[in-house]
Amino acid sequence: MAIFAGVSQNAVSQILVAILALGTIFLFREDAPWSRSVKFYLFLAAFVVVARVLFRIIFNIQNPDEPTALFLPGLSVNLGFGPAVQLFGEVSYQALADGTTDGLRLAAIILSVAMASSLANPRTLLKSTPSVLYEIASAVSVAINLAPQMILSLQRVRKARSLRGRSKGLGSLAGTVIPVLEDAIESSLSLAASMDARGFGRKGNLSAAQVWIARLSSLGAVALLSIGSFLVLVGESQLTGGLVIALGLVSSVVTVRIYSKSQIRTRFDRDKFRLLDGLLLGVSFALFIAAWGGWLS
Amino acid sequence: MAIVIALQDVTFGYLETERPSLNRVTLEFSSGEFALVCGATGSGKSTLLRILNGLAPHFTGGALSGSVFIDGQDVTGLKPHDLALQVGFVNQQPESSFVTDTVEQELVYGMEQLGFERLQMEQSLEKVAALLEISHLLEKPLSWLSGGQQQRVAIAAALAAGQRILLLDEPTSALDPEAAAEIVGVLKSLAHDHGITVILVEHRIERVIELVDSVVVVANDGLVTKGSYEQFENYHLVPPVIGISTKLGWNPVTVSVAQAKAKWDQRPAPWKPIVNDYLRSKIALDVSGLSVSYKDVNAVSDVSLQVHSGEIVALMGKNGSGKSSVLWAIQGGGKRDSGSVTTEFGDPNSLSAEEKLCVLTLVPQKAADLLFLNSLADELQESDKYAQQSEPATSRIFEAMAGRLDPKIHPRDLSAGQQLALVLALQLVKGAGIVLLDEPTRGLDYAAKRSLAKQIRTLRSDGKAVLVASHDVEFVALVADRVLEINQGRLVSNQDVQTALGVGASHPTQLSQISMEHGLLHLGQIEGQQR
Repeated sequence: MAIFAGVSQNAVSQILVAILALGTIFLFREDAPWSRSVKFYLFLAAFVVVARVLFRIIFNIQNPDEPTALFLPGLSVNLGFGPAVQLFGEVSYQALADGTTDGLRLAAIILSVAMASSLANPRTLLKSTPSVLYEIASAVSVAINLAPQMILSLQRVRKARSLRGRSKGLGSLAGTVIPVLEDAIESSLSLAASMDARGFGRKGNLSAAQVWIARLSSLGAVALLSIGSFLVLVGESQLTGGLVIALGLVSSVVTVRIYSKSQIRTRFDRDKFRLLDGLLLGVSFALFIAAWGGWLS
Repeated sequence: MAIVIALQDVTFGYLETERPSLNRVTLEFSSGEFALVCGATGSGKSTLLRILNGLAPHFTGGALSGSVFIDGQDVTGLKPHDLALQVGFVNQQPESSFVTDTVEQELVYGMEQLGFERLQMEQSLEKVAALLEISHLLEKPLSWLSGGQQQRVAIAAALAAGQRILLLDEPTSALDPEAAAEIVGVLKSLAHDHGITVILVEHRIERVIELVDSVVVVANDGLVTKGSYEQFENYHLVPPVIGISTKLGWNPVTVSVAQAKAKWDQRPAPWKPIVNDYLRSKIALDVSGLSVSYKDVNAVSDVSLQVHSGEIVALMGKNGSGKSSVLWAIQGGGKRDSGSVTTEFGDPNSLSAEEKLCVLTLVPQKAADLLFLNSLADELQESDKYAQQSEPATSRIFEAMAGRLDPKIHPRDLSAGQQLALVLALQLVKGAGIVLLDEPTRGLDYAAKRSLAKQIRTLRSDGKAVLVASHDVEFVALVADRVLEINQGRLVSNQDVQTALGVGASHPTQLSQISMEHGLLHLGQIEGQQR
């Protein structure tokens, strides 16, 4: 969905994406630490739209051919070099519309990302990662889990420090950051210790060389996939982009197959692919294909 | 009984120059043994536990010498995940070590890591859930469970793959007495009925002492002895039920209330009553109709209380009963929906942060959060400067409580008790007459609690009004003049300490249970006998 929003030029489709993302978030949100970030994303999205429009108004490029929406006194600022910069002046409808569309596009991307991060349970993500990427994925998951806890520690420390009557000045930054980091490190170490004590990180019957080959190729797959998506998004070369993505997919499938032969860990309950998840994925994929093909925009 | 764990000449230390935290330890544990490991805060007792499954040195750093055997195999130097099939480990805070979201996922996590087949997992899951009586909770999210249930899940998760050794680090520290007693009962049954070797570190010895088979004492010099209760004779980190033996020269040492009661009935000792003399002084803090609610929950409803100058009042109640909310609402840093707080200088909410420090101060649960400089001397100097004192006023208050210490020491290297004393000194230098303390005994051993009690009593003799939130019965008996009990945000009783913790009360101290004498609460009241 974010990809579609990035490629599309149409304000209506941007709004649709934003509504879809928001709707999904509020319908399926669970009350969990990772889903509390929505407010922040909403604020960011609104800020981006407003900022874009304001920019258009302030750094106005005047175009006498277009109907004017706002009559503002013009301001000519001489920076001492180059030509004078024109600020404000007559703002055209077209400029406002462009600013809004631009802002909406970014906002839609932001909301799509918000949907992903607020709905994805980091722990489920960890469970459904192929075992090759397991170690990387768990590091990421621990980091994600730490964020809300760090906010709690931060609140606690700031409240405590207000008791000393001098929140500003002397050592205030170090004094806040150090206890919070201390908490974060302590709790991540305790989680890591608990995971290790229960068998996490066993190498099974793979040799050290095999483990390294699998790791390298899995990293390669991730890199190829990212580069491919980037090429598609930038729109430079759709064909190369598609090819790189395909290569990344093949590479990851191969490494997963090699690795899964070792039978290091098993799964008790495969996560059921719920109908809704499928629907959402389908809509997103259709939008992506549509955008790629150049329709809709 | 077969020997399951053997340590041979194990020495563990962090730096070669520093003295080792464990020194040439040779120990054995047999199958089905329920063993208690105890020692002062900061001794090597947790390290000893962690050596048994490789968490030390792999997660703690430090150097290990000597050998560790499990089931006759040399496992020295193996990593925790290599030992996961033999040894289960349960941490102090279960919620911080949960890896998944629901009870079922948490129980199978270890088996998934160890590569169990699905069928095997189902069988083990059913068995271990039945063993710990959590079968009805399998579908529940972990965050919904009570502390006691969470601890059961953590224990089940540690045993799910069929481990025959269970290590626990202070598993009852976050639990109230009832939940703690239940968990200890479960552990005993695991050891005695199911043959699992259970080794637990615990400094609230009285919670487990009657049920364990053996006691391992880790001394501060790293020497470790294993035996039975007789070791406690020369050991000062003991609860009153054991301490009374030392004090009165009873031999052998008593470890249960029933044993001590029998001895006391034969030969009671003379004791001094507690004197309440606070009522003659003026009211320093007057709280009326205080209410605090968060979202839909009423954390505090209609609480009214008074504290006199030179009086120590304890606010007792279970975890989550609203103790902290009351203190923070009085101080003004927390939410207050209605009610009034009156001090000599008016409502704290009408004062600036700086003015407040001249009137009242709060020491939060984690006192170290208030320390932010790199040495003791810097903290003390900065405090004097801030308080515009020309003389070393802060260090005078600090030394009166904690004695003279190396000024170059980093505040984070102080013991928990010393940190608390430092924070109190920093907060009191502007002459606040009201002191609020939030759970000051968390993480302190018996000796540290006794010296903290002494510190707080010196505040009382300086004429301060002290309100201390705590659920520690023995500690409250040492410090308080009066006890307020809070339950689900409401004050349910307001009694003298002798009545609140004495014979016939809902939470009597150990000594009142032993002596059955009205007004006898703690060992300090008994005259010691020469042995």
